[in-house]
Amino acid sequence: MIFADGITLLCNDIQVDPQDIVMLVLSWHMKAGTMCEFSKKEFTEGLQSLGIDSLEKFREKIPSMRSELKDEQKFREIYNFAFGWAKEKGQKSLALDTAIGMWQLLFAEKQWPLVDHWCQFLQARHNKAISRDTWSQLLEFAKTVSSNLSDYDAEGAWPYLIDEFVDYLKENGVNQHGQINDSSLN
Amino acid sequence: MSNQKKKHFQIEAFKHKVVMDPKYPDKTWKILEDAIHEIYNHNASGLSFEELYRNAYNMVLHKFGERLYSGLVATMTVHLKDIAQSIEAAQGGSFLEELNRKWNDHNKALQMIRDILMYMDRTYVPSARKTPVHELGLNLWRENVIYSSQIRTRLLNTLLELIHSERTGEVIDRGIMRNITKMLMDLGPSVYEHEFEKHFTNVSAEFYQVESQRFIECCDCGDYLKKAERRLNEEMDRVSHYLDPETEKKINKVVEEQMIENHMLRLIHMENSGLVNMLCDDKYEDLGRMYTLFRRVTDGLLKIREVMTSHIRESGKQLVTDPERLKDPVEFVQRLLDEKDKYDKIINLPFNNDKSFQNALNSSFEYFINLNPRSPEFISLFVDDKLRKGLKGVNEDDVEVTLDKVMMLFRYLQEKDVFEKYYKQHLAKRLLSGKTVSDDAERSLIVKLKTECGYQFTSKLEGMFTDMKTSQDTMQGFYASHPDLGDGPTLTVQVLTTGSWPTQSSITCNLPAEISALCEKFRSYYLGTHTGRRLSWQTNMGFADLKATFGKGQKHELNVSTYQMCVLMLFNNADKLSYKEIEQATEIPAPDLKRCLQSLALVKGRNVLRKEPMSKDVVEDDAFFVNDKFSSKLYKVKIGTVVAQKESEPEKQETRQRVEEDRKPQIEAAIVRIMKSRKQLDHNNLIAEVTKQLQSRFLANPTEVKKRIESLIERDFLERDDNDRKLYRYLA
Repeated sequence: MIFADGITLLCNDIQVDPQDIVMLVLSWHMKAGTMCEFSKKEFTEGLQSLGIDSLEKFREKIPSMRSELKDEQKFREIYNFAFGWAKEKGQKSLALDTAIGMWQLLFAEKQWPLVDHWCQFLQARHNKAISRDTWSQLLEFAKTVSSNLSDYDAEGAWPYLIDEFVDYLKENGVNQHGQINDSSLN
Repeated sequence: MSNQKKKHFQIEAFKHKVVMDPKYPDKTWKILEDAIHEIYNHNASGLSFEELYRNAYNMVLHKFGERLYSGLVATMTVHLKDIAQSIEAAQGGSFLEELNRKWNDHNKALQMIRDILMYMDRTYVPSARKTPVHELGLNLWRENVIYSSQIRTRLLNTLLELIHSERTGEVIDRGIMRNITKMLMDLGPSVYEHEFEKHFTNVSAEFYQVESQRFIECCDCGDYLKKAERRLNEEMDRVSHYLDPETEKKINKVVEEQMIENHMLRLIHMENSGLVNMLCDDKYEDLGRMYTLFRRVTDGLLKIREVMTSHIRESGKQLVTDPERLKDPVEFVQRLLDEKDKYDKIINLPFNNDKSFQNALNSSFEYFINLNPRSPEFISLFVDDKLRKGLKGVNEDDVEVTLDKVMMLFRYLQEKDVFEKYYKQHLAKRLLSGKTVSDDAERSLIVKLKTECGYQFTSKLEGMFTDMKTSQDTMQGFYASHPDLGDGPTLTVQVLTTGSWPTQSSITCNLPAEISALCEKFRSYYLGTHTGRRLSWQTNMGFADLKATFGKGQKHELNVSTYQMCVLMLFNNADKLSYKEIEQATEIPAPDLKRCLQSLALVKGRNVLRKEPMSKDVVEDDAFFVNDKFSSKLYKVKIGTVVAQKESEPEKQETRQRVEEDRKPQIEAAIVRIMKSRKQLDHNNLIAEVTKQLQSRFLANPTEVKKRIESLIERDFLERDDNDRKLYRYLA
């Protein structure tokens, strides 16, 4: 088993920051069960599937792994994988703080203007863990609904939390560019 | 005899030529022409039918049909022109009479002429494609008499004037009208229509337009309708007496349009006498008339229904939101029942039991009853009142009638599960205090609820009745097996199955020693025969009868709640007790204890305790004494309060919350049921199906349903389709 220390060493060797999102991509390739852990099987099979057998090759692979995030389909898979990977073993839902961290990381790659409002909303109004359905539906929401909410469909079978988010945004007067006018949130 | 010579007979053609007399046709025609003159001059008796017939016959035979026919036409025309002149010359009233008389004459003459000329009619006429004699006679009459410039307009005007006079109240000669119109009809359907009917309807329309305008300015609605009805009847009478039956529907349409349709809205909305006014004052006759009349015109009934519906909704809304009315729930419900009765009667009698009106009434009631969220509670309180005392002494049939009416209101409720919750609470109180007027009435209502809502609705209620019965048996068994308890206090225990009865938080208090010992005996007896069960005493629901002797020796029997008993029994060992001491000794929760002490010390006529200071509120530092000066006219004094009451705000909130909680599993069960059978279904349809399934109990909130769906996704009962995120699939 490789744990956090081992991972730090690995990151040193491949010259990647442990917080770098490419580590998530790597974990996805390895089908890792939990973050900050790699089992021997996951590690070896993962590297095999990537065709990596030396540190050199590893370092070379990093940019291409990074670019995988630009692919729509792969991004979705990685995003959905992240839920299971980031949550505590044996828990059904993802703790709010972890979720927020993951979202900020992921949506830095794939621009979503409302990500900060979303996180603020959750901290102000929700304060509970995030279900898998909400996690996966959020990506759909970010992709299909424009940031001024003009094409949001109230009958659209969105999870209840997202409906509440929309109400929250409307209450606080989100304008065209997704900026909240209410200064009380600062 | 000598030999007969055979003679040859030879038949030879006529050598004698028959030469037609060239004057034959003229001569023969002259005979006939003269005959026609005689006929028209009423001298037919001197003629020989046989001779005339033969003459006509011969003419046709000898191919003089043409001559005969044209002669006929000419002769008749001449006569008819004469006739026309004599009719024109008639003065005033005799005009129609003269016309009628001449018409009759003409018909008789025509009959005879046709008989004489029958051979021609049957042979020459068809082959030469001429108009048959009878018809010819009518056409000639029409052309020469009716269409004569002097007669045509005069005839029409005369008829119309007479009708107008009759409409203004004068009596006219209907017989002659009849004959004239019949004449027009005989002359051909378009003759009647163009010479009379068309103008008749136009003039009538003008007449009624003026009249209706005049009436509507000066009459109130009821009077106007009476007048309209009378006019319609008059016109029908007119038609039956002297017009063509086909005219009936045309004139009806005219009157209906002018008198009713054009003024419909104004009549309905007329101030102080319109529809709303009639409804409020139960003016059955006027309503019935309005219904019958308006039914004749397009959208007439629709308009009535619309106004009635909005009136009922408005007045119903006021009724259920008026704070005065809401003070007494029983009164409130009675008022609803009275309203329903009122409108049932109206729809039944003047509105002819019209189903669309019944439906409108039902939807209106459903609308406003549900405007007040306390309606379910109030209806249950109404039932409680009836079953507790209202139906005392009432015979069985009347009881059924009252319960059926309650059921009818129940059907209008959208939140039937709220009603169920309250009903259960109130029933529990009734059963436990033994305060029900009739067991049969209780059961009858349960049966009705079961029929309406199904077995599940009432199974717990029936469980409550069973528990009562079983407890009786248990008590009998207890006392039978403990004969030594005859002297002590008498205990009656009702063992309630949790789940059947409304949930209460059971905080037990400290019972007086004598009682708790007895209770323990019961507990071990019961658990002896029912191992594996757990009993918990519900001290907030019981009551006790205490015999008390006061300072001056006055004896009373006090009927108190269990809590009150615990408090009072303390005074057997102490004269004065502070609030704190009482609280410690009894361990009754503070809000209940305060209420309890208030009812023992501060209610006039029931103040068996005395409080110092005499303030209204019970506070920590108060001291209590037995009120030695207590007096009451009655020996038995009732102090315990376990009666069902309108809930306070916090209680109401709590009940509402419990109802909401109960709804969640029901919604989930419905979702699972539907998804299991459909395997997959899209979001909107799923919400619609769930709402429909739950409709008989409550109105499902779509947001709540959505939350339940998500919860089921979380628990892996459902999943979203990969390609269509609005589609859900059932996971077996």
